[in-house]
Amino acid sequence: MSATPAPPRRKDLLDIESLSREEIVFLLETARPFKDLFTRSVKKVPALRGKTVLNLFFEPSTRTRASFEIAAKRLSADVTNLAITQSSVTKGESILDTVETMQSMKVDYMVVRHAGAGVPAFIAKHTPAAVINAGYGNHAHPTQALLDAFTMREAVGELAGRKILLVGDLLHSRVSRSVSTIARKLGMEVGIFAPGTLVPAGRPDYMKSFADFNEAIEWGPDFVYLLRLQRERQAAHFFPSLREYHNVFGLTRERFLECRRRGIRIMHPGPINRGVELVDEVLTYEHCLINRQVENGIAARMAVLYWLQPAVAPLPDEKEDVTS
Amino acid sequence: MSTPRLFRGGQAVDAEHASPRRLDILVSAEGKLEKVAPEIAPPAGAEVIDCAGKILLPGLFDMHVHLREPGREDEETIATGARAAVRGGFTGIVAMPNTDPPIDTGGLVRFVHTLAREQSPIPVWTSGCITKGRAGQQLADIADMHRQGAVMITDDGDPVADPYLFRRALEYARHFDLLVACHCEVPELSRGGAMNEGARSYKLGIPGIPACSEEISIARDLELARLAGARIHIQHVTTARGLDIIRRAKQDGVRVTCEVSPHHLLLNEDDITDYDTNFKMNPPLRTVADNEALLAGLLDGSIDALATDHAPHTEFEKNLDFASAPFGITGLETALPSLYERLVRPGKLPWDVLVRAFSETPRRILGMEAPGFREGESADFVVFNPTGQTKVDPETMASKSRNTPFIGQSLTGAVEQVALGANLLLAGKQT
Repeated sequence: MSATPAPPRRKDLLDIESLSREEIVFLLETARPFKDLFTRSVKKVPALRGKTVLNLFFEPSTRTRASFEIAAKRLSADVTNLAITQSSVTKGESILDTVETMQSMKVDYMVVRHAGAGVPAFIAKHTPAAVINAGYGNHAHPTQALLDAFTMREAVGELAGRKILLVGDLLHSRVSRSVSTIARKLGMEVGIFAPGTLVPAGRPDYMKSFADFNEAIEWGPDFVYLLRLQRERQAAHFFPSLREYHNVFGLTRERFLECRRRGIRIMHPGPINRGVELVDEVLTYEHCLINRQVENGIAARMAVLYWLQPAVAPLPDEKEDVTS
Repeated sequence: MSTPRLFRGGQAVDAEHASPRRLDILVSAEGKLEKVAPEIAPPAGAEVIDCAGKILLPGLFDMHVHLREPGREDEETIATGARAAVRGGFTGIVAMPNTDPPIDTGGLVRFVHTLAREQSPIPVWTSGCITKGRAGQQLADIADMHRQGAVMITDDGDPVADPYLFRRALEYARHFDLLVACHCEVPELSRGGAMNEGARSYKLGIPGIPACSEEISIARDLELARLAGARIHIQHVTTARGLDIIRRAKQDGVRVTCEVSPHHLLLNEDDITDYDTNFKMNPPLRTVADNEALLAGLLDGSIDALATDHAPHTEFEKNLDFASAPFGITGLETALPSLYERLVRPGKLPWDVLVRAFSETPRRILGMEAPGFREGESADFVVFNPTGQTKVDPETMASKSRNTPFIGQSLTGAVEQVALGANLLLAGKQT
């Protein structure tokens, strides 16, 4: 599908950290023709016909799940969704039981979201199915990073030397860790602007930290990436009020106008809180990429599903295919 | 329009000079230090102020003052507190936020600063609360207060009990490089106490407050400041052990500063003889050994600042039995003469250390310029008469309250004039 030679296929996608730059670029290149498909009347290719994708969600998520579901269906896979409440699964043993049950159903791909760090990797170790981490805990959300990188490349082309500013809740954000990692791997400079309460300890040195939003904008980022602020963080004393958060750390009207003047692209993983992370006007701005991120999410996830290779034992007829 | 003034024949002391040296100072009509030299011939038209035998020192700064406004204007107001400050030789003060309502929003910070601009002859800044209503439950609007010019945040006498919340406060303040000031006390250990716990409290039968109530709290706060990387200021250190904890933290690179009050340097529990509630404050007067350790800390720089913790209370409030009376004593009008009489004059405290701790360093901690005797700068200095007498007379004090342990005494040394810009405050004061 692409001029780039395909790197050897992996079984699982657990994080961005373990992907090479070549693998990332390959996935981004692969996503492009999938996106072109969306403008056609039939948005489907037969790549995964006869394969089964299981969305195994231990944490509620509608958007990410729907995105994976659509991606799988556009590749002609069969999709099953399984939402498991945290309360019924508290022990590693139980996760394993669940996985073994699913394995009996002979699924080929498992898309896993879980609050606990390391759970997708744990599952991956115990199933021949290809496992895709759909976001766990505060740590990793690799397909989000891929769709963001895809979106940025689509907007400006080559990313090496470009700058991205991450704003807001870096502490609880699985998005921020994966996005900063992919940005770094693609040669971008990464800046952060966040209250001291929401900056994780031990973050890598390459992140340039700013004390003031205007100073951060002065730095000249190509992308301002606003991270979602969960309202319940206020009760946990991470900031005094949403109003104050918006005034100091939000994209206020004044700051937005400055970004617009400079043509800076605005991104957000969604869902947005209007009046908190950003003012309304941002959404109608020509360089607001938020809706494109959603659209590109499907293409990026298609590329991942397309590339991964389950270790499921092939059936006899498939064996013939391979040898012929 | 005022005329140029020549302060002639005085002995100047500052943060760089331990011993007084003869300096004449010519202040222009606009209030600038036009010329500073060992001897200046009076220019035509200049008013000559004879400073022979007087000490000239940079204007003092008190980073810990309770002005009680809004809410307890019967005890003190911004206007009366500022007047008391001028009498004491202060040209800048910081108000604590434990007013009613507490200063916990940008609007209230603005209120104090506006009132101060209208009514105070010297700059007055306010601190803001760490938590809403000083209740220790939710962060106050720290960014808003910072934006309105609050120079530090503190919950004052009610330290944030929840270490998790305090950690978040430190991290949040770090973003603004805003100083977090701490009154260190474990309330569960102090509860019911009215003076230092020890032989003296046993003798007087007054419930005690153990030194470790303060020391445990200092240690906790410094560990959290270390974790958060925030700037922290320990208010009114009173014990040798507490100071040692701070000293070690400083050596480890924790961004900590601390202050001591004149009364904790000069007085101790043995001075509480007749249940006089003007000797009751929190933290309480400690021991003679603590006095010595604190003075040593001030001399070696472990203690960064002097601060009065000026805490006015009405006579009615203080006129109670020792256990029931409120904590707190006034200090603005007595600080300099009491330190002079008991430490500077006997040679125990050099002038340069006093100027550093009571003028330069507190300003630097808060990111302000410190005054000195440098040509071209705005005039900001005090004319102090080392042979004058400061009569601590309830009839003539500027503060609305008179709850000072020095009441009725005559202290050696008197602030005679305060030159601030083109203004000569206290001109003609009789001593």
